[in-house]
Amino acid sequence: MPRILFLILLAFFSCASYATEKIKIGAITFPKSERVNDFTTRIPFKLVDHLMVVEAEIHDQKGNFIIDTGSETMILNKVHFKNLYQHQQKEKQSFGVMEAIENPYEKHVKDFVLQNFKLETLKSDVIDLSHIEKSKKIKLLGVIGYSVLKDYEVFVDLHLNQITLSKVDNSGNKLDKNVYLEEIVDSLNFTLRYHTIIISGDINNKKVKFGLDTAAEFNQISKNLNKNILKYFIPKKRLTLIGASNKKTEVIVGKLHRVRLSETIFFGPMDTVLSNFTRVNEAFGTDLDGILGYEFFKHKRTIINYQKEKLYFINYPIGKH
Amino acid sequence: MRSLIKHISFIFLFLVPTLGFSQEESVLGYKIDGEYIVFLFDVRDYKTVTSDNSGSINDFDDLNIQEVIVSGQFNNWTRDKWQMNKISENIFELRKKISDFTNEFSWEFKFLINGKYWAEPNDDIANIAPAKTPSGSPLNVYNLKFYTAYQNEDGNACFKLYGHKDAKKVILAGSFNKWDENLFAMNKVENGWEITLQIKPGFYEYRYIVDGKWMEDPFNPNKVKNEFGEYNSVIDISKEVTFELQGFLDAKKVILSGSFNNWSENKFKMKKAENGWILTLKLSGGKHHYKFIVDNDWMVDPKNPVKEYDGEGNINSVCMVK
Repeated sequence: MPRILFLILLAFFSCASYATEKIKIGAITFPKSERVNDFTTRIPFKLVDHLMVVEAEIHDQKGNFIIDTGSETMILNKVHFKNLYQHQQKEKQSFGVMEAIENPYEKHVKDFVLQNFKLETLKSDVIDLSHIEKSKKIKLLGVIGYSVLKDYEVFVDLHLNQITLSKVDNSGNKLDKNVYLEEIVDSLNFTLRYHTIIISGDINNKKVKFGLDTAAEFNQISKNLNKNILKYFIPKKRLTLIGASNKKTEVIVGKLHRVRLSETIFFGPMDTVLSNFTRVNEAFGTDLDGILGYEFFKHKRTIINYQKEKLYFINYPIGKH
Repeated sequence: MRSLIKHISFIFLFLVPTLGFSQEESVLGYKIDGEYIVFLFDVRDYKTVTSDNSGSINDFDDLNIQEVIVSGQFNNWTRDKWQMNKISENIFELRKKISDFTNEFSWEFKFLINGKYWAEPNDDIANIAPAKTPSGSPLNVYNLKFYTAYQNEDGNACFKLYGHKDAKKVILAGSFNKWDENLFAMNKVENGWEITLQIKPGFYEYRYIVDGKWMEDPFNPNKVKNEFGEYNSVIDISKEVTFELQGFLDAKKVILSGSFNNWSENKFKMKKAENGWILTLKLSGGKHHYKFIVDNDWMVDPKNPVKEYDGEGNINSVCMVK
């Protein structure tokens, strides 16, 4: 369990610490997506352990992408895009001009009319993700991050195992209002720092800053926090994690109690890893006390609106359906 | 400190050679009973132990077994918790809820006797994995391993490969067990090979490994191309779902129409029951849209809050099978 967590983290660190070449890629299509209206699409995901993974096609390759609000950019897995990389490198200069003159809004609208949802001409980092591929035993083409998601309102639904992407204007209003039929029962403000969604909450009435990350398989909390806060982290076991580089990291796994994000939003005990946040903060480009991941979405069906800097919540149904 | 001791003990374990015994290959150490995983330690299944302190191998028969502990990745290789109960002269048992193990698909574990001897499984057991030190070096012994998809005579997925009578070993591997190449050894039957598993609803890809050679299921037309230019077979595990519409007892007929029957307006007639209308169906894993047709009037399920637009702006009820 934690080894995988570490491997995922490692992927983030590598994004943060290496200056990678940005390249332009062609269209990505999602063959299983469903059109809701001209501006909205739903893409089913499958859960691979705690990762949300969507099927996609790019450059005649079929495979999987991880949905990751913790990643700043779109990432392609070097293992599957070696040729693309060389080819693109040669022509890199000519792309610089193109970027400036493109009108992304028009392009998206045009693409949305297509039956299969399609993302066109995105910038992407190319990084070796083979360690995730090996541990999860899936063909991983890449990671879809903030640079793609920010243009949409994103509904991460762990009940129906799908994400709904709705195109928004600059103020975050959906271009077609008829997207959800279930009642929005609550909302929560967040602040966006670079690409990171930061939620202010408290544990035992002490302020805590959490990052919200769809690809964090486990919640994490910094071990440098005040002891009045850490009192509510009940350790269950100690684990040694081994990364691809064979470096050992020791973490403590346990339950985090009394997490409260507003007067109305609080959580029962959540599985959480106590970890060293120096490198995590480097990856997210900001100071965080904790990360909320899969467990958060398991508790809350969550809509993310980047422009309004707001989260909205829909209840899980009670009963058999 | 505890971790250091563990590390040292692993280094000692490194010196232990593997001993093989001829025995029919089987799954050892646990079974699944409803919602529970039952760890089972049968004294007669083991021939050697490794000392936790010295790494020396001892003969099993010399031990006076006082307590047995289940130690594994799920409890940080505990030396003192998860004590098993003795249920007969040779058998120890410990029951845990499967739902406590959902974090990962598979876990490695071992049995620790009297707090200091590791029971060593043989290499002809199906569910073994080579043991490693925390830094990843091989230890030349095995850990046991368990999975959440499992073999069950009354399971919901029967796999059968006809022919291949001369094969020595046929394995079933798929996305339901992370393509493990050892775990699901098929049983030889009259006209081929067979295994029955219990798997959660959904679509899965799988292949057979006949004496080391991978192949798709030749009798399953449902297949997808894989990255090796060959095919993976596809299986759809379905689940029974009961649809219920309360009231409307004066209606003449109620039809269930949905994405699962191509929105047929006559195929699935619901049965009248005491409080309303009812119909049980087998559905594939995933999301299904549906509506009721009460005497020609279409309506969403009034009891189901989960609804979605289709591509044309119509509203449907949604049922999720998982």
